[in-house]
Amino acid sequence: MKVNIVDWHGVATWHWKLASNDGKAGYVDELCGICRVPFDGTCPNCKFPGDDCPLVLGRGCIHNFHVHCILKWLEQEASKGLCPMCRQVFVHDPEDNPHSEEFEYLQQLEDGHRLLREKGETTYEE
Amino acid sequence: MSRVKRIAKELEECRQDTQSGVSLELNNENDLTHLTGYFKGPPGTPYEGGLFQVDINIPNEYPFKPPQMKFLTKIYHPNISSVTGAICLDILKDAWTPILTLKNSLISLQSLLQSPEPNDPQDAEVAKQYLSNKEGFVSTATYWTKIYAYTDSSSAAPGSAGGAVPGADAAVFGIDNEAVNQFENMGFPRDKTIQVLNRMGVKTLNVSNRSELENRVLEELLQECQ
Ligand SMILES: [Zn+2]
Ligand SMILES: [Zn+2]
Ligand SMILES: [Zn+2]
Repeated sequence: MKVNIVDWHGVATWHWKLASNDGKAGYVDELCGICRVPFDGTCPNCKFPGDDCPLVLGRGCIHNFHVHCILKWLEQEASKGLCPMCRQVFVHDPEDNPHSEEFEYLQQLEDGHRLLREKGETTYEE
Repeated sequence: MSRVKRIAKELEECRQDTQSGVSLELNNENDLTHLTGYFKGPPGTPYEGGLFQVDINIPNEYPFKPPQMKFLTKIYHPNISSVTGAICLDILKDAWTPILTLKNSLISLQSLLQSPEPNDPQDAEVAKQYLSNKEGFVSTATYWTKIYAYTDSSSAAPGSAGGAVPGADAAVFGIDNEAVNQFENMGFPRDKTIQVLNRMGVKTLNVSNRSELENRVLEELLQECQ
């Protein structure tokens, strides 16, 4: 039998590769703890998963979030700049993430909370 | 927008979970921001046998800001206002994080009933009694559970109040009904009167220094009801 392929469609699937901070790849948790949507979906304000709604990994801890979700949390003064899951100071690794507006904003918020904490500590000591 | 999606998810998760012993209901089908939570009083506490209702208001910034909760069921507890139902619990204030859910919060309230924190009170009077007269605290809390938190289905409990037998509510505490009536006739609410008499350890007014005792009770009542 002879088969002629007249047409074809490529189909691909993808998943985020979530890494823990000891370098071991693997799913730490499947849901974004903030919006409770699986990481392969988007945050509630985005339509398209993937690069349009990227994930961010905490450097001090192993928790992943949609970057849009953690931004909203860190915008709250009450967050004190802490990871919602483990309450360690939330910092991400700028090296590992794209240089986009979102990540610059994330850096700003992290810095802002650090300054607030430092100020709080000095007032406390006085 | 993000708030609505998340609340809908939480409701669904809570409906599927029959193990946790807490439940959530929308006050109105079309409004996902006003809910009522229900849970049972933990066994082995003065709240056992009661079903407690909590009013839940969800702010625009949810889940980045905590839900506002207060007890609809009157409850006698150091960390809950006996007047307004306002709750003092860290996770509903500055220890909130967006990974917490409405279900988690209700479960935390249930544990608060199990382990009061009298040193961080919402109701100073109740906390004072909790620390100085534990027995009196337990009997008032038990009494409040009976009269305010017993549901029809749990009313099989003996001696449950509602005033079916005159004076039964006072008798629960061994208080002479005459004493309660006397202050009730002066215009003080019956439940407050029983609460105050119980707190003061007064069972009867038939004592030698009766008028002195009456004055002391009166003073307490005036403070309580101001
Ligand atoms: Zn998310
Ligand atoms: Zn997004
Ligand atoms: Zn973390």
